[in-house]
Amino acid sequence: MIEFRDIEIKYNDFIAVKNLNLKIAEGEFFTMLGPSGCGKTTTLRSLVGFVSPTHGSIHVNGKDITQLPVEKRDISMVFQSYALFPTLNVYENIAFGLKVKKMPKEQIEAEVAEIAQKVDLSQAQLRKKVSELSGGQQQRVAIARALVLKPSILVLDEPLSNLDASLRVQLRNELKSLQKKFGITTIYVTHDQEEALTLSDRIAVFNHGAVEQVGTPHEIYSQSATEFVCNFIGDINTLEHSIIEKVNATSGKSFDPAKAAYLRTEKIYTSLPEGNAEAFTTLTARVIDAEYYGLYTKYTFEIGGALLKKVEIEDGRSRCIIGNEIDIYIRPDDILQY
Amino acid sequence: MTIERIKRYVTPGRLSLLIAGLFLTWFIIAFLVYPNLNLLKSVFWANGSFSIEPFQKLLHSKRALKGLLNSFILAVSMVITVNIVGIFLVFVTDYFDIKGSKLLRIGYYTTLVYSGIVLVSGYKFLYGEQGFITKFLLLLFPSFPADWFHGYWAVLFVMTFACTSNHVLFLSNAIRKIDYQTVEAARNMGASPFYILRRVVLPVLQPSLFAITILLFLTGLGATSAPLIVGGTEFQTITPLILAFSKSPTSRDMASVLAIILGVATLILLTFLRKAEKKGNFISVSKVKSEIVKQKITNKWLNTLVHIVAYLLFIIYTVPVLLTVIFSFTDAYSISTSILSWEHFTLSNYKLLFTNADAYQPYLISIVYAAGAAVIVVALSLLVSRILHKYSNLFTTALEYAMLIPWLLPSTLIALGLILTYDSPKWILANQVLTGSMWILMIAYVIVLIPFTLRMLKAAFFSIDASLEDAGRSLGASAFYTFRRVLLPIVLPSTLAVLALNFNSQLADYDLTVFLYHPLFKPLGIAIQNATSGQTSSDTRALGLVYSVMLMVISSVALYLVYGRKSKA
Repeated sequence: MIEFRDIEIKYNDFIAVKNLNLKIAEGEFFTMLGPSGCGKTTTLRSLVGFVSPTHGSIHVNGKDITQLPVEKRDISMVFQSYALFPTLNVYENIAFGLKVKKMPKEQIEAEVAEIAQKVDLSQAQLRKKVSELSGGQQQRVAIARALVLKPSILVLDEPLSNLDASLRVQLRNELKSLQKKFGITTIYVTHDQEEALTLSDRIAVFNHGAVEQVGTPHEIYSQSATEFVCNFIGDINTLEHSIIEKVNATSGKSFDPAKAAYLRTEKIYTSLPEGNAEAFTTLTARVIDAEYYGLYTKYTFEIGGALLKKVEIEDGRSRCIIGNEIDIYIRPDDILQY
Repeated sequence: MTIERIKRYVTPGRLSLLIAGLFLTWFIIAFLVYPNLNLLKSVFWANGSFSIEPFQKLLHSKRALKGLLNSFILAVSMVITVNIVGIFLVFVTDYFDIKGSKLLRIGYYTTLVYSGIVLVSGYKFLYGEQGFITKFLLLLFPSFPADWFHGYWAVLFVMTFACTSNHVLFLSNAIRKIDYQTVEAARNMGASPFYILRRVVLPVLQPSLFAITILLFLTGLGATSAPLIVGGTEFQTITPLILAFSKSPTSRDMASVLAIILGVATLILLTFLRKAEKKGNFISVSKVKSEIVKQKITNKWLNTLVHIVAYLLFIIYTVPVLLTVIFSFTDAYSISTSILSWEHFTLSNYKLLFTNADAYQPYLISIVYAAGAAVIVVALSLLVSRILHKYSNLFTTALEYAMLIPWLLPSTLIALGLILTYDSPKWILANQVLTGSMWILMIAYVIVLIPFTLRMLKAAFFSIDASLEDAGRSLGASAFYTFRRVLLPIVLPSTLAVLALNFNSQLADYDLTVFLYHPLFKPLGIAIQNATSGQTSSDTRALGLVYSVMLMVISSVALYLVYGRKSKA
């Protein structure tokens, strides 16, 4: 188990990470999620040993590793740029850490062959220069190089951010299956909420150097603990003052009109769901835009000057025609206010 | 307990860093700071109190004042002539559609291998009293003065064609980087070709041109070999005067004053350049850049005129090279009479170079000096670059600035500083006297090579993805192992390239060598200069030509290894 205890990391006067307390279970796929500069990578680097906390301690399986040098921590890292050594070929890159350990040559060959097979790298690819591989293959080399050392923890720093969208989805799936195959404790850093939601067992959402919420992807999405998390995860509408007042008037709820209130885009209905009709507030809206995405369509409605967005699965039966006025339905219980 | 703590603190890494720090501090003080401060002291505090007497002496010396004026005139005129020729060359090869531009480029690029003392001596060989071209002109016009090639115009002529290397290297590169879509956009808006050239193309080149102009001015001020060899008595400039003054103890203070003036001018101009550079270059904002397409000169007469001038310049550039090569294969008779005929062709000059110890000695000496200096400066700069790459604090900032001191100082001043400082035992050098020894030249070569080498190697280190080093560490490797196995192989190509360029630049150095060489161990630059003297035998002049040809071969190989292979990759 990994435990961050009261971690603070300062660069001169700037506090990159403040009062961080976090526990990560063995075998867990744990994601640190947040926007640029939120402290997630700094936290990860403190675990690996590239950054020393100004305060607090880091423990792995009960042992304090805060002062342990990088090379003695038994934590392997996959870098954002993969950091493959350009002057070494694929085989030499994977064997690098084993050579440092002064492992016999035959054993190195066997270990490299085994891991190469697991990550689906052929013998021919092992002899290639790293620059001759595709982005996906390079990522597999970076993972193989980290895993061949059989570390107790694998950390990945935005390893998919340099890839194009389709490859990112493909490699995301490969990464998940590899993690399951090896069962290794994995800590993943990303700013991409979709990656975090699809890959992780649990997510920590970072903001301004602090953790805002830790939870399963479902908890993070549907029970966002803070305004920041609610805004950062998924597509969301910020409800205007006039809509809040109408909801309060029709539902008897008492949302504070002075505060921001939020509603997820899929929580707006264009037809009244069956049963429990009284639980919904009806609003009259004009359809002003429709963005077609194939699987779904994103509509923009205008209600007395306020805009709302709605995502609707495309089934060919939509009654939203640009320019038309229609009734839309929202459930006050779906409104989030902090 | 205390020993344990010391052991934990004094790691091998920290110890080697401390030793490196101490060594670098000593090197900087002994060779980069102290000699130059001592030079200032020898001028302003010669008798233990502040005095400007040497300056007053200078103001009363007509010769020195004339030299200063000549240098200024040369610098200003060079800026004009070299820019006219250089810009023309670059436009002909890279902007306008000129027939045979590839051939022209080869001709114009000859200054990259046919430069410095080799070029000046080659021009003297052709245009001098006994020169091939002078004799040809005498045949056409018998009353033509045989000693026409000396003085201001001769120096300006030589310098104009010797100093276009920066144009063909940097300006042509800047032209190739122009986004052609900006030219097309201007044309689309109705601009004429000349208007496009003036308002679109030239402004983009302006920062490069400005930098080149400043460097040209400095080259003109500090010109050594051209005024020394073809300037004659009537056109003496600062550096040859410094050389003459430094040889006599009574006029050494004047030499120092002139060197300081040169240094101050350099400092002012480089500061000016830095300020201009800080304002920034024009950065293309194009999302998709398109390659420049050569422009046709639509005016038929202008097109013909440009072609004629382009090929005339081609002849000026290539004839000295060709004749140097041709005459290096002829006997003493041909060389002394400039008459070419089949029976006077011979390989004996080359045979002499490879078999006679006296003949090949300058080569060996220069190779040892150039190779030694290149290796030492690369090792030193690797160490400094690594420290700068890994640490960032007050010491590293000071270290970097100190190592760049030679960039701010003309080589003449560096040479004088060393000569005047280490002509007596100094504790900082363990009481060793450097002046007059073989070592002083090697040290001076190392000093002048530091700024270029450091800038290149530092750039190589800083271009490495920082996560590579982290990756090495996270895979369990020590800092030294990561450096040796990961970082060093990455910077090795740049290191070897810098090594080759350094070796090449010092092999036939003249400007610094002439101040510091050991009389018993004359390097190539001096041997070639000696061969141009009117009093030398034809055999010596033949050997001078062979030295020049061999230098061109070595330079070509070095440049091919550095640039040729890279451009193929």
